[in-house]
Amino acid sequence: MAKTLFEKYGGFKSVSRIVMSFYEKVLDSDQIGDYFEDIDMSRLIDHQTKFISTIMGGPASYTDDRLQKMHEHLKLSHADFDEMAALLRETLTEYGMDRADVDHIIREVEARRGPILSAGRP
Amino acid sequence: MSIAAINEQLLRSIGVGVAIARRSDLRMIFHNQAFSEWFGEAGGEAALSDVLPDLDLAAVSQAVDEAGRYTGEISIKPKRRILVIALSISSATVEDERLFIVECQNITRIRELESMIDSYSTMVERNTRELEREKERVERLLLNLMPRSVYEEFKTFGVVTPQLYKDVSVVMLDFVDFTKFAAESDPTITLGELNDIFTAFDRISEQYGCERIKTIGDAYLAVAGMPEPSHDHARAVANCAVRFIRYLERRNQSHPHKWLARIGLGTGAAVGSVVGIQKYVYDVFGPAVNMAARLQVFAEPMTVVAPDDMKEALVEEFHLDDLGRHDIRGIGEMRLMRVGAGIELARKSRQF
Repeated sequence: MAKTLFEKYGGFKSVSRIVMSFYEKVLDSDQIGDYFEDIDMSRLIDHQTKFISTIMGGPASYTDDRLQKMHEHLKLSHADFDEMAALLRETLTEYGMDRADVDHIIREVEARRGPILSAGRP
Repeated sequence: MSIAAINEQLLRSIGVGVAIARRSDLRMIFHNQAFSEWFGEAGGEAALSDVLPDLDLAAVSQAVDEAGRYTGEISIKPKRRILVIALSISSATVEDERLFIVECQNITRIRELESMIDSYSTMVERNTRELEREKERVERLLLNLMPRSVYEEFKTFGVVTPQLYKDVSVVMLDFVDFTKFAAESDPTITLGELNDIFTAFDRISEQYGCERIKTIGDAYLAVAGMPEPSHDHARAVANCAVRFIRYLERRNQSHPHKWLARIGLGTGAAVGSVVGIQKYVYDVFGPAVNMAARLQVFAEPMTVVAPDDMKEALVEEFHLDDLGRHDIRGIGEMRLMRVGAGIELARKSRQF
């Protein structure tokens, strides 16, 4: 079986660093930071740890259904989604991931655009 | 620079937030840069209670008086991010003025990492539980294919060495006219009935110390004395055989299809091993198995035929009828006997 990116980049050790810097970028973003204004810190981190693990092929699985339920009340726009993807790309690149792997992860995220924006604005 | 000046410089520049307030009126007489970054620039002599409105001052005073130190945590939100600050307040007296010394540390990162570890361990624990369940499922499946002791060997060494057992007994059962019945009936009904019967046989086998090896279509093969050696393997298979017959007799009384079986017993040597690399199956081979298969063909419907060699082991417990000498294909001439329920079992059968 091919190694997952999760294994390739050292498992939780790297996920934790990626989550930490992604977390800061997201909070600092003027585009999407406000969505996290009142969210409980531990919930946000829980969400991001699971999400990053999932897209790297780690031991979590976020179903599209759950992603949809968690995001529908936020009514996110495509611009929000693009910002999130851009910040994630930035984080992963800073972390020193290969270009091809970053592209792969972003494609994984892109594949979830539908469920995440389900109730959003066009 | 004087020592006092160096000290003050140090206090101002360290990453720990420090503030000093008079206990009498709670006015702050000093705070450093880190403190004001978190709690805002307190102009003049701001009151501690205004800068830290969430702080329970009564509790602080009590803790400081009783334990010499108050420790607690407060959350602040200078921007979007919630910061968790650990507070430690102690007291000091300088020139008869009693003071509160407030030390603050930013433990946000620690809290964040703790949340992350919590989240991750929950994930890993769930996965571990799922793997554990999966492992049990696989184990249950494999235990259907091979006896437990063989499975243990397989698990430990990755292979199963073929083992010769010199002294085992075999029971082989086959149904009369099964092919005809199968052709005439709905296959799901046939299989349902066969499943019922074989399940009952499995229970009987287990109870009387036999190990079911396999079923081949309508034939049922069980052994005793392997893989766990046992000295009364002959009695074990005979006990199963007469109970298989009795089970069928009872079942036939209440079911439309009357199942008739022939049973042969065999005794002697056999080899047991897992056969196949990808598609494992535990199987047995050898003279004892051949004998049971031959004698089963020889048996009248609903009877059990065994070699005369087993007489000594069975004579006390079973009803034995001599069938004389017969030439058995592939084995040669041998003396056979019919095995029936002994007096004890026959008496019980009449009772129920």
